[in-house]
Amino acid sequence: MTTLEFHDPSGTFEVTQQHAPRLASLAGRRIGFVSNEQWQAYRMLPMLKEMLETDFPDIKVLPIDAFPQGNAVIGNEETAALVKKSGVDAVIVANAA
Amino acid sequence: MKNAVSGLGLAPDAAMVTFPIDMFLPGSDITPLRARKREFYDGLTRWQSGLARAATGAAPMLCVEGASYEDALNKANNLLITNLWGDGLPLWPATRERVDWILRGAALPRTHVIGKFPPRGGVTTVETCAVALAMAGGRPEYLPVLVAAVEAFLDDESGGDQLQATSGGPFPVVIVNGPIAREIRLNSGFGCLGPDPQRPAGASIGRALRLLQQNVGGALPGIGSMAIFGAMRYTNAVFAEDEAALPQGWQPHATERHGYAPGTNSVSLVFASGVTNVRRRGAKKETPQEDILNGMWRMADFMRTPNLAALAGYEKGTPGIMMISPVVAKMMAEQDWTQLSIRQFLWENSRIPLAQLQRAGAPAWFEIDSNPVTRESIKLDPWPIALKPENIVLVVAGGDHPTHYHWLQAHSPSVVGRVMRVPESFEQLLADADRDLGCGSDACRI
Repeated sequence: MTTLEFHDPSGTFEVTQQHAPRLASLAGRRIGFVSNEQWQAYRMLPMLKEMLETDFPDIKVLPIDAFPQGNAVIGNEETAALVKKSGVDAVIVANAA
Repeated sequence: MKNAVSGLGLAPDAAMVTFPIDMFLPGSDITPLRARKREFYDGLTRWQSGLARAATGAAPMLCVEGASYEDALNKANNLLITNLWGDGLPLWPATRERVDWILRGAALPRTHVIGKFPPRGGVTTVETCAVALAMAGGRPEYLPVLVAAVEAFLDDESGGDQLQATSGGPFPVVIVNGPIAREIRLNSGFGCLGPDPQRPAGASIGRALRLLQQNVGGALPGIGSMAIFGAMRYTNAVFAEDEAALPQGWQPHATERHGYAPGTNSVSLVFASGVTNVRRRGAKKETPQEDILNGMWRMADFMRTPNLAALAGYEKGTPGIMMISPVVAKMMAEQDWTQLSIRQFLWENSRIPLAQLQRAGAPAWFEIDSNPVTRESIKLDPWPIALKPENIVLVVAGGDHPTHYHWLQAHSPSVVGRVMRVPESFEQLLADADRDLGCGSDACRI
């Protein structure tokens, strides 16, 4: 019998932060979109906004262009600061691919 | 998406609602969005990460047993393939002995962290590189090139984080300058883009880089990488400039682009999305001047195309790499062409009329570009394919034959250089290579 022992080639991970806690409910919450404005986002996000507003009458869903849009800006610190400043409880990151 | 999340330091999962690609096309039926709205709501309220809160630690060793060495080797390859760590070609299992052997080429400690390989964010050490090089059939003296290439890849300026995942499938091109190229049998001549049994270094180094991109960086086809066609992914492109053939007054690429002193061992990393020959030689009784000028026009005509992926490198990167064979460089230098005048000619004569850009719908891509310099450049008519001639990468390499130029179309936000480090025992490694591979670096059976 021959034994071969060898390295796992996938490296290691370092988890440095935890996922954001989820909301108990969407009722009365403020929701935003961060979008790269591609892949039919201009059609899908308004539909999603309308569904949220229909299903949760007291919800506040910001316009889909409330924050800067586009691949170049949705990941930067300035956009993150704007999102925090807006007071949203959650964001949906959309259609970046 | 899981790659991107783990690359940010989060546990590698996320609250996602995914749909087939059809829904993201123009004119698509988007009603499935309505049918699955509950998943969006749950993602905001009920979703929990199913993975451990922390996953730091050394990668485990793997073990297989076989009735014979042949059987064990086969099982090891099957294990690597079934874990999505292979590339379809036979692999050397990265045993401790083989990895320790490869690490003889390290100038840094094996635990030295080079960075996190994007987008998945796998921690990449010198040992991680050695494991990949071992699997790819490499040798210790190749490790300095691979480590420098990985350092360049993981540089924030390289764009590697996005290029790993993008649908265009750009692949890294590693241009090596300095004496190490000849010393380790890295090809700069005939067939320099490989494969070459006499100078096999480029294939192993490039394959190891590809394995790192996939296994540590997560660029799995259709999952971590949307590269539709995925060209050139077995070995990437790793070759050397033929510095000995540079005409008088011409500088090595690394000196021109990165300011490294001639004779410095270095790599230069460019991402390319395509490769083609451009036939440059005349077929009848052209004068030397006509032969050169005709060829340059053919090159410029080929470059005059709206390669929208190259917008990423409009200001600081490159529209592509032009490879000139040594004999053509010599001919051109004899006719008073310089590296500067070649670039200037190509830059001037590859400008694209605005009307051509407009009919191709290109302005929309300019408008969404992150770089204001690129966005503003659409006002130029005809539009130059790079901000300045110096952006065009010019490398003297290939066989001593005059018929073709080679053009590697770029998708490269920058051109990143790195100086290599070699261990003190490097001379011994080269002597070992001479012993193992027969003919020395200057010798050749052909």
